[in-house]
Amino acid sequence: MSTRDLVLTALFAAIIVALGLLPPIPLGFIPVPITAQSLGVMMAGVVLGARRGAIAVLIVLLLVAIGLPVLSGGRGGLAIFASPTAGFLIGWIFAAFVTGYLSERLINDRQSGLVQTVSFFLTAMVGGIVVLYAFGITYLATVAGLGFPKAFVGSMAFVPGDVIKAFVAALLGRAVMVGYPLLPARA
Amino acid sequence: MRGTGLDIHFEGAGVSFGTRVALAPLTLGISGKRIGVIGLNGSGKTTFARLINGLTKPTVGRVTVNGRDTADEKTAAADVGFIFQSPQNQIIMPIVRDDIAFGLKRRGFTKAEIEAKVEGVLARFGAEALAGRRAHELSGGELQVAALCSVLATGPGILILDEPTNQLDLKNRALVEGIIAGLAESAIVITHDLELIAGFERVLLFHEGRLAADAPATEAIARYREIAL
Amino acid sequence: MQSLYVEGNSAMHRLSPRVKLLSLAIFSIVLFITGNLVLLSLAVLAAAILYRMVGLPIGAALRRLRPIFLTIAVVALFNLLFNPWQQALVPPLRLTALMLLAAAVTATTSITAFIDEVTALARPLERTGRVRADDIGLALGLVLRFVPEIVDRYQAIREAHRARGLKVRPASLLAPLIILTLKDADNIAAAIDARGIRRHGS
Repeated sequence: MSTRDLVLTALFAAIIVALGLLPPIPLGFIPVPITAQSLGVMMAGVVLGARRGAIAVLIVLLLVAIGLPVLSGGRGGLAIFASPTAGFLIGWIFAAFVTGYLSERLINDRQSGLVQTVSFFLTAMVGGIVVLYAFGITYLATVAGLGFPKAFVGSMAFVPGDVIKAFVAALLGRAVMVGYPLLPARA
Repeated sequence: MRGTGLDIHFEGAGVSFGTRVALAPLTLGISGKRIGVIGLNGSGKTTFARLINGLTKPTVGRVTVNGRDTADEKTAAADVGFIFQSPQNQIIMPIVRDDIAFGLKRRGFTKAEIEAKVEGVLARFGAEALAGRRAHELSGGELQVAALCSVLATGPGILILDEPTNQLDLKNRALVEGIIAGLAESAIVITHDLELIAGFERVLLFHEGRLAADAPATEAIARYREIAL
Repeated sequence: MQSLYVEGNSAMHRLSPRVKLLSLAIFSIVLFITGNLVLLSLAVLAAAILYRMVGLPIGAALRRLRPIFLTIAVVALFNLLFNPWQQALVPPLRLTALMLLAAAVTATTSITAFIDEVTALARPLERTGRVRADDIGLALGLVLRFVPEIVDRYQAIREAHRARGLKVRPASLLAPLIILTLKDADNIAAAIDARGIRRHGS
């Protein structure tokens, strides 16, 4: 990994940690504020691509594992991985990878702003919801013993919030693409 | 410290990016203890400096430092330390002493030796108080001193300073100026701050990728004013 | 940032990180092999004792685990509504035992000890040529170094927005935050390379 890539990845991990320290951000078009940290995780793949995005998230989880309270709310430590929702945490890595993988291949600079935004929205949904929930629900069903039907139903309540996050991530992805494009061009 | 006198040779070394010539091929020998480098932004002075520590490789010709080609990564650049203009972006660990120590890893030193080197280099600049401080809380000048310690801890004989006082206020500027004057290592100082190099015996003036003057400070500065104004 | 390590001299403090992590792994495997409620309850008790021995005052010790335990409890309750208690109690007991032992490991192992251990574990992988063990410590250090700078930058951007009477919207705040932060990468990387930090070792 080049030094530049290593630094980009570490800086994005630092952004994710910093977002965990901030209070929820009001959106304006709905009355519920969004927690910034999970938005940051959704953006890792969108901004840095598959490999660097996944590694950025891995670095954040490593910080949690070694005992730093970097998850929003000041949570951290190995005990976090014993929670029934730990699958959603592990899933972050794969969500970032898939979002990044799809973003690299679907988005290029010859497309219009609208096409890019819609494409980012799709990749954020596939990675940030489909893939993430696959890991989260599986862990909840198996390790936490809830069984797939209940784990699935129980998790659905959170999907609308994450769809909104994917939308915001798409807008942000496009804004960052305009300001400082970093996606490896594979489209 | 290795190679205390400057022994740098540019042999037709130049850098182009596509059609843009950042530095036209240059043949030059550099020796002595203090060299100033001045010129407008984009004149090639930073490219010149980066060729010496190997951060930039020549697209034509070659550069040797203490007899070794800078294209050979592992050796030549080890003799050259580089201080950048941005104070914040050079300290990479949260606490100053950890930053200095990190640069000494994997070089065969024991933990005790590393601690001694860290303390030693801080003491050189009377900066022992910085050891346990968080980088985030330091002023620009303190950060530059910390960066200096981190860079000099590995013992390079040559120090390149690229606009070291650019982002500093008056007080911190004076601090860094004093340090440069007293450095035992050889120093190549690139700067817009003409007072910093006013007493140097040799100053290189770059303009549009070429060497426009190679003379004592007064003469080079006069020529700079002619070109720039 | 204050870590979750607690200074002390308990039995667990004196064990090496490697032993603790290995024990945690073996403990997890054993927990998931058995479905015996008595054994699992004993495991919870044993882990709780080890956690208590760490030296944290009870309030602080419990506070750390509250969010995790609450989630375990909610899921357990949900499960109890639909399944016989002999079945439904197994997962929460497993997870609680795991949670307690994991928390004890975290509280008795310093950040530096952890980083050294992870670096040592990654060292053999260097032979594949795809991993540099020291990059781990470098990346972690970089994150901790720059988090406060990023928080400052966020405050500055927010104040600038307020000063211009703009509403606080995520896109207008987070986009510049991300862009400005990532633009520093080139300078930071140049400083790292100029110091030869990644030049040594394989």
